[in-house]
Amino acid sequence: MTVIIEMLFPEIANLHGDNSNIEYLAQSLEGARIHRTGINDTPRFVSERVDLVYLGPMTESGQLKAIDRLTPHGPRIAELIESGTHFLFTHNAMEVLGNRVSNAEMNYDVPGLGIFDFVTTVNMFNRYTGKVMGTIDEVAQPIVGYKSQFSMVSSAPDAPGFLTADRGIGRNRSTRVEGVRVNNFIGTSLIGPLLVMNPYFTESLLSSIDPSREPTLALRELAIAAYDARVHDFNESARWSKAELLVT
Amino acid sequence: MTRSVRPIRARVLLAVWAGKLTGTLLRLVGRAGTHVPGKVALAVYPGLMSAIPLPSRVVVVTGTNGKTTTTNILADALHNLGVRVGSNRAGSNLREGIISTLMDGLTVFGRSTIDTVVLEMDERSARLVLPGVRPDVLVCTNLTRDSIKRNAHPEYIAWIVSSALSEDTTLVLNADDLITARLGTEANRRVYFGVDAMGDESRIPHGVAIDVSICPICDHALEWDVWRFNHIGKVTCPSCGYRSPWADVRASSIDIARGTMELAMDHESTTLPLVNDNIVNVYNEVAVAAALTVLGVPVNDIAAQLASLKPPVTRFADETIGGVRILRLLTKGLVGVACSRAFEHIPTIPGRKVVLMAIDEASERFTEVENTAWIYDADYEYLADPTIAQIFVGGIRRHDHALRLAIAGVDPTKIVLVESETEAADLISLDDLDAVFNLHSVHNALISGNPVQQRLRERLLEKI
Repeated sequence: MTVIIEMLFPEIANLHGDNSNIEYLAQSLEGARIHRTGINDTPRFVSERVDLVYLGPMTESGQLKAIDRLTPHGPRIAELIESGTHFLFTHNAMEVLGNRVSNAEMNYDVPGLGIFDFVTTVNMFNRYTGKVMGTIDEVAQPIVGYKSQFSMVSSAPDAPGFLTADRGIGRNRSTRVEGVRVNNFIGTSLIGPLLVMNPYFTESLLSSIDPSREPTLALRELAIAAYDARVHDFNESARWSKAELLVT
Repeated sequence: MTRSVRPIRARVLLAVWAGKLTGTLLRLVGRAGTHVPGKVALAVYPGLMSAIPLPSRVVVVTGTNGKTTTTNILADALHNLGVRVGSNRAGSNLREGIISTLMDGLTVFGRSTIDTVVLEMDERSARLVLPGVRPDVLVCTNLTRDSIKRNAHPEYIAWIVSSALSEDTTLVLNADDLITARLGTEANRRVYFGVDAMGDESRIPHGVAIDVSICPICDHALEWDVWRFNHIGKVTCPSCGYRSPWADVRASSIDIARGTMELAMDHESTTLPLVNDNIVNVYNEVAVAAALTVLGVPVNDIAAQLASLKPPVTRFADETIGGVRILRLLTKGLVGVACSRAFEHIPTIPGRKVVLMAIDEASERFTEVENTAWIYDADYEYLADPTIAQIFVGGIRRHDHALRLAIAGVDPTKIVLVESETEAADLISLDDLDAVFNLHSVHNALISGNPVQQRLRERLLEKI
């Protein structure tokens, strides 16, 4: 099958090198087609088949534009999530789908698409940076990544997350639950980029997107070597500061 | 352009004395510590930035790149024109360093000994500096992506600077950088500088870090009349007609071969020597001209000052031994944009090349795990060039750089991983080689950049 990946709003959702998630995914999925949907275009997922919808990191004003453009398509997004379409929303993209995004310093408090029951608080003078190492059910090896963000997400404690942090923080400084996972929707504030940095997880995702073929991770040997070196370092307690750990 | 004199209060004097005494003691023991006097003074009086006596004119220079060069050229020009000028050229560009500089310009009785102070300011320090000093002139060279951890994204930095600006400040802004060009409010007087279109420039942006793609007025996709790098260039919106601002002070007719350019300002045009052929330095030169215009310096005097400029100390070294060029490039780790500019240069050097790359963040080697997201914000694609025979990657995060290179299209068989940051200088073959590149970062310049350069020299000399 020809896998179709839709990148939403690449003109504004392109920070922190995170679009390499899709570059790497495409290199691993022979024949995959990437459809780039501009900020003024109607998303392809509204009317045609898409196998994975991707939205990457944005500026604060970019996030408001994304909310504005996606709000009319909220019911369609909810329907696709329910029916099992793959989504990958990284960094602050996930926040678009919550109930609200508030930013006191920039003087706004706007409704999100309301697909997920959480709220986002953006604090422009209290940026969080740190590492995360955690687990997910379908992959034996830990997920690793970085956070570098102005925002924290608050939701009900039992809302399903993407991973559980063994080290580092989750959606906010007081929970180990990081991101959102509903069916094949993955929302995470981790940057890295996630798929480049976590080859075992990416292989699992490849299998899920296209079960008809064996996953063939591009540049697997190099990716595993980089992953092993990082996990080795992440396992050293001395490399973790108090500031990046959970507030208990 | 004359500001009212701040009254000298007892607490201010006490803070200034404490700072000056600290500076004197540091000098006696042979320490520079340019930010320490300011730190001590601020400990005595935390509100000192808003109370310290200022000279009659305050100029602040900020921006992602070029602020040091621009500050130094501007301060030198004013000095040469007979202005008593102070500047933090030797000191820190953070709040403490700026306080130290302002104290240096005061007598022990708190009276100013200078007419003008030119302050280089770290752009993230704007909130701590600008409301206090309320500069007469703020020069912003450009705002591009910097360290993800420190600076997030350029729009954030623009917001920090804008929200700290006084409406009384005259802004000297880069017309070819739409993020910089929109700093401040409509109330601010603004003077733009820029570089006119040159003949062979692209109109199609490329690379991973383009921060302006849509019209700030109507969100329509912008068209580039000139694209230089990142979001630097000249744009037009085909939908609403929005355009990059017209530059009041402009470089044009740049002739690299003859080493000249035309400087156009105030309806006059003057031929000047190019300080060097790096476009970033041309922007710095024009920024200085624009700032001097705002400060009331006559056009002829500006031209005379710029005509006598010496090329800035470069972060680039090029030597040839036995027919092989050794090119040393500072490749600022953690800053993808800066790395892209270095990578872009490599394929332009003719012949068969080998690259030695060790650009880890040295400060994060043992107590952190470097966030390498920035390497995906850098255009490693420039290195997927058939004339580059091998790329040696050293350092702790070598596996990450190797993967990035391969994703960028570099043949994995050309990538050689070496744990040491310096050993590659011994491992490379010097046969059939025209050029070797020594790429290092800021923090490992001494521990890696220098020994690699030295070893390459030794081996090439032995070969002669």
